[in-house]
Amino acid sequence: MSAVAASEALAAPLYVAWQITNECNLACLHCIEESGPGKAFPDELDRESAMRVIDQLLEHEVPYLSFSGGEPMLHPHFFEMAERVTSHGTQLKIETNGHYLTPDNCRRLREIGVKAVQVSLDGASSATFGRMRVRGEFDKTVAGIRNLVAAGVPVEINFSPASFNVHEAARIVDLAFELGAVSFYSGKTMFTGNAVKAWHHLAVTDEQYAEYFRTLAIKRDEYRGRMRVSYHEAGLLEELRYRLQHPAALLIVLPNGLVKLINALPFVCGDLRTEPLAKVWTNFRRAWHDPRVASFVDELAVDPGRTRSLHQLVHV
Amino acid sequence: MRLAQHVKFREERFGGVLFETRSEKVYTLTPTAAAVLQELVAGRPGTDIAPSLAVRYDAPQDAIARDVQAFLEDLREKGLVED
Repeated sequence: MSAVAASEALAAPLYVAWQITNECNLACLHCIEESGPGKAFPDELDRESAMRVIDQLLEHEVPYLSFSGGEPMLHPHFFEMAERVTSHGTQLKIETNGHYLTPDNCRRLREIGVKAVQVSLDGASSATFGRMRVRGEFDKTVAGIRNLVAAGVPVEINFSPASFNVHEAARIVDLAFELGAVSFYSGKTMFTGNAVKAWHHLAVTDEQYAEYFRTLAIKRDEYRGRMRVSYHEAGLLEELRYRLQHPAALLIVLPNGLVKLINALPFVCGDLRTEPLAKVWTNFRRAWHDPRVASFVDELAVDPGRTRSLHQLVHV
Repeated sequence: MRLAQHVKFREERFGGVLFETRSEKVYTLTPTAAAVLQELVAGRPGTDIAPSLAVRYDAPQDAIARDVQAFLEDLREKGLVED
């Protein structure tokens, strides 16, 4: 039994990360999707199209999906879509900003049987949280996490470091544990999306990152067996170079059904509105070898600002 | 014995995959290992898997039983199956 599965050999993706809407109640400084109020795509999938996509994923036995956004809980058919996924035994994770986690909604998520809800908590205090999560409310997010825990839904906390919150590393992990999270995850904040414009507010120095990851290593050991603390130290370029050699069996589905190779590249390899999943999956595996993909990554090494064009999609 | 709550199995042309969705770790399976998982997912008790495979592959049950036992133990240690 090997712990490596080459996507080339698989009949279908193992994981589909679906941004079900680009609409969001917040306008976070670092949002790769540049989501926000009024930012829904004009051509987002309607109910019938979304259900057809889900049915295709189930038919191909995709074992694991995530719904993200934007804020996925703002999607008008969020619960219906979630229930369709889990009713067939497929595991579903919700990635949310936590502002719609009322007791009733948390009970529904529990009844539907979502695998986990990942909540972004980019600060251990209202002040730091509010700087990153423009329009966001720290207290509301924390209350939402408590509602999830009370309902018995596993909670994962995600934290994006920035110059103004990186000093809270130890406190944020402790807070995640106090709130009852099963896991805590962090990595470097990427120079993409809104972060490109806000980089002078966000940028973390190499020294700060070194200290940050040292702290997380200590916390990982401290909470071993009680809460999983995981983090990814690689930067965007390292990650993309690795993915060029080892594409993950992961499709990124946009709100309008287009399928990207990976979030941090502008390349589209299919359209689930008009193409069957099998065709998109075949094209996904071929597209990673398209010379334009490797060239873009090479150009990023010279000019990190190339990420400004992530939303100018290129079909490969 | 059954797959752990957060583990999914899918058959593939080369055998199969086990996906542990909490850690997002994927294990590839040989055709023989995938055959054991097919039996398990079908609800066959762990003790009945080796006799079933012996019939299916027309092979000596003793040897298969040892391999199945070791494989199931490995799955258990990795938290991929539970009783």
